Amino acid sequence: MPSFDLFLGPNGWGKPLLSAALMTVALSLSGLAVGALFGAVLAHARIGGGLVLRSLADAVTTILRGVPDLLVIYLFYFGGSGLLSWAGHAAGYDGFIGLPVFLTGTLALGVVSAAYQAEVFRGAFNAIPRGQIEAARAAGMRNVLMFRRILVPQVLRHALPGLGNVWQLILKDSALISVIGLVELLRAAQIGAGSTRQPFLFYSAALVLYLVITSVSGQVFRWAETRSLRPFRRA
Amino acid sequence: MDFAFLQTTLLTLLGGLPLTLELAVSSILLGGGGALMLTLMQASGSLLLSAPARAYVFVFRGTPLLIQLFMIYYGLGQFRPTLQELGLWSFFRDPYWCAVLAMAMNTAAYASEIIRGGLGSVPPGALEAATACGMRPLLRLRRVILPLAIRQALPAYSNELILMVKATSLASIITMMEVTGLASKMIAETYRSIEIFACAGLIYLALTLILTRAVLLLEWRLSTTRKNGTPA
Amino acid sequence: MMATTRPPLALHIAPPTQRRPKPVEKIALVKLRKSFGLIEVLKGVSLKANEGDVVSILGSSGSGKSTLLRCVNFLETPDSGDVILCGEHVRMRQRSDGRSVPADPAQLTRVRTRAAMVFQSFNLWSHRTILENVIEAPVHVQGRPRKDCVEEAEALLDKVGLAAKRHDYPAVLSGGQQQRAAIARALATHPEVLLFDEPTSALDPELVGEVLKVMRGLAEEGRTMLVVTHEMGFARHVSTRTLFLHQGLVEEEGPSEEMFAHPRTDRFRQFIKRAQP
Ligand SMILES: Nc1ncnc2c1ncn2[C@@H]1O[C@H](COP(=O)(O)OP(=O)(O)OP(=O)(O)O)[C@@H](O)[C@H]1O
Ligand SMILES: [Mg+2]
Repeated sequence: MPSFDLFLGPNGWGKPLLSAALMTVALSLSGLAVGALFGAVLAHARIGGGLVLRSLADAVTTILRGVPDLLVIYLFYFGGSGLLSWAGHAAGYDGFIGLPVFLTGTLALGVVSAAYQAEVFRGAFNAIPRGQIEAARAAGMRNVLMFRRILVPQVLRHALPGLGNVWQLILKDSALISVIGLVELLRAAQIGAGSTRQPFLFYSAALVLYLVITSVSGQVFRWAETRSLRPFRRA
Repeated sequence: MDFAFLQTTLLTLLGGLPLTLELAVSSILLGGGGALMLTLMQASGSLLLSAPARAYVFVFRGTPLLIQLFMIYYGLGQFRPTLQELGLWSFFRDPYWCAVLAMAMNTAAYASEIIRGGLGSVPPGALEAATACGMRPLLRLRRVILPLAIRQALPAYSNELILMVKATSLASIITMMEVTGLASKMIAETYRSIEIFACAGLIYLALTLILTRAVLLLEWRLSTTRKNGTPA
Repeated sequence: MMATTRPPLALHIAPPTQRRPKPVEKIALVKLRKSFGLIEVLKGVSLKANEGDVVSILGSSGSGKSTLLRCVNFLETPDSGDVILCGEHVRMRQRSDGRSVPADPAQLTRVRTRAAMVFQSFNLWSHRTILENVIEAPVHVQGRPRKDCVEEAEALLDKVGLAAKRHDYPAVLSGGQQQRAAIARALATHPEVLLFDEPTSALDPELVGEVLKVMRGLAEEGRTMLVVTHEMGFARHVSTRTLFLHQGLVEEEGPSEEMFAHPRTDRFRQFIKRAQP
């Protein structure tokens, strides 16, 4: 079978594809983390902000939900690089300075997922009974302590199912980062397809790897969900 | 701010709007038909039909749309001679049709899950009441099940519609010059990414806003929690 | 409802024995058996109801009351036994997997429009207004002209006290109002038999009265009704006959007042004692 050697032979494409798959996971994870940060800020503005902050957060959410992710990626790539080049120009260096693609990808994925994450956090926060916050105050907890001991653990627990959905979204969105040249799974498949002229084979391989990643991580999220529900179940 | 540039940019980008709309509408319609078929297959009770439908949904929901698009546009190129023999090559060579096909197949998977959720939400009591007053299965489907399921599924489906409008931008990656295609071309030429992003973003925002409003209006029309429905 | 004025031409006065019409049998259930999996829920239950009979079906939870009622309009299919509705025997056939099913879909539809059901949880169609709920079956199942159905439905809604609510959706009505609407819906197909499965059990206590009042009105009109209920007052004073089920068998049955005044079995005595402390 010729495709056996093609992937598993000594110079086969198996290893580059697998490491590209790892890149996809790494990129998505960092996108998730950055998005959680942005999302938490957005959620905070929407829950506790004044009128101005709230409307601003609403506007950002509307924009992020209405504009294609690809455009946001272009904005970060070309905009960020443009900014860098402009700074470089001011410092006396002439020419184009590209922003590191992993950083761009992480930022872009974080931003496009922020709106969804904010919604997840907000819902999770609202699911906490108000009485618990009052109880924490009555027990003399100050803001930071209450945030750390009472709010964060519960918000995370309530947010898990929603975060699982966002994670799947980010994983699939990460394929878009291939357009700015980051060698993640799709880009690696493209390269393999180009140099062997067997595009169907390579895209199929990538497809299978994506399926493995999404279903395994989906399983992990489900497992985490059941675990996090443990304290609520009676024996 | 360079208003003249903004204006020419907006006008140029608007030139891509018809293509964006065409892509969205044809893939949504095709995908809707596919979703119905998938739902029927899954509900058929025959493993021979439901297993492939489930596998289809699993694959299309578990992988990025972009790779599905590449699979169809580039991947099938590997079978060019066969496709030529079958007379299908002119279809698969055309980026427009490949984009429509990929998006339709993708949205069919998501929409079928949405329909399934809607059907699952129909209260058994409503069905029982329909049976008890003598409705046969088809009448029951038409008068009770579908109307209830559609109302339940509408918000999720409206989300999916918006995602599809946004997904048309991927067609630019396989050379289609719709709004995002024109925008990325302009960005690459002028490096004025922020202005161009703003103009393109404006167009998409307007589109999604109109779509959201339209669905909200429909939801309100179909709403069953307000007092005084329109007299029969 | 019947023509009461006759031209004075009728010189011939019927002898007293003939003035009392022979009772018309509306429902006959003969030795119904029904199992779910391994548990046998009905173990050969028979029941007869003539025109104008109001039969209360009592029994503790799980005794098979709902199952019996649902066998009348084939929401459950009995494993064996006969269902005779208005003199028409519902024909059954054996499916390939051994289960028996009604043989003739047209007959099944006929049976179901003859025996209308009112459910514990109302089961109004939430996507249609009250009026639309009422005209749904007459228009779409019986194929009657919409205009007539609307007129009739408005009269029915007036009768149950819901004329003002006819263009509202069920969601904005109280439980008692929803159940009254469901009764109007049941009446709209001109059923010969009304089946009630605990029509007041899902209602707040203060709403039970309004539904019972409508049901008493129907009983006084001479409608044939089978009523599964926990309302002892209704069973004793409104229904003509009572049937007490225990573990899938008829433990005791008879005229209601008499049965409540002089229960014959210990189980029924215990049952009414527990229900009315
Ligand atoms: N569809 C079904 N599948 C399996 N078991 C059932 C089904 N319907 C009823 N049963 C079982 O049959 C038995 C009798 O049920 P039924 O609903 O007739 O009781 P009931 O007398 O109406 O009780 P209740 O007063 O609680 O309504 C119960 O043990 C119930 O669990
Ligand atoms: Mg019951």
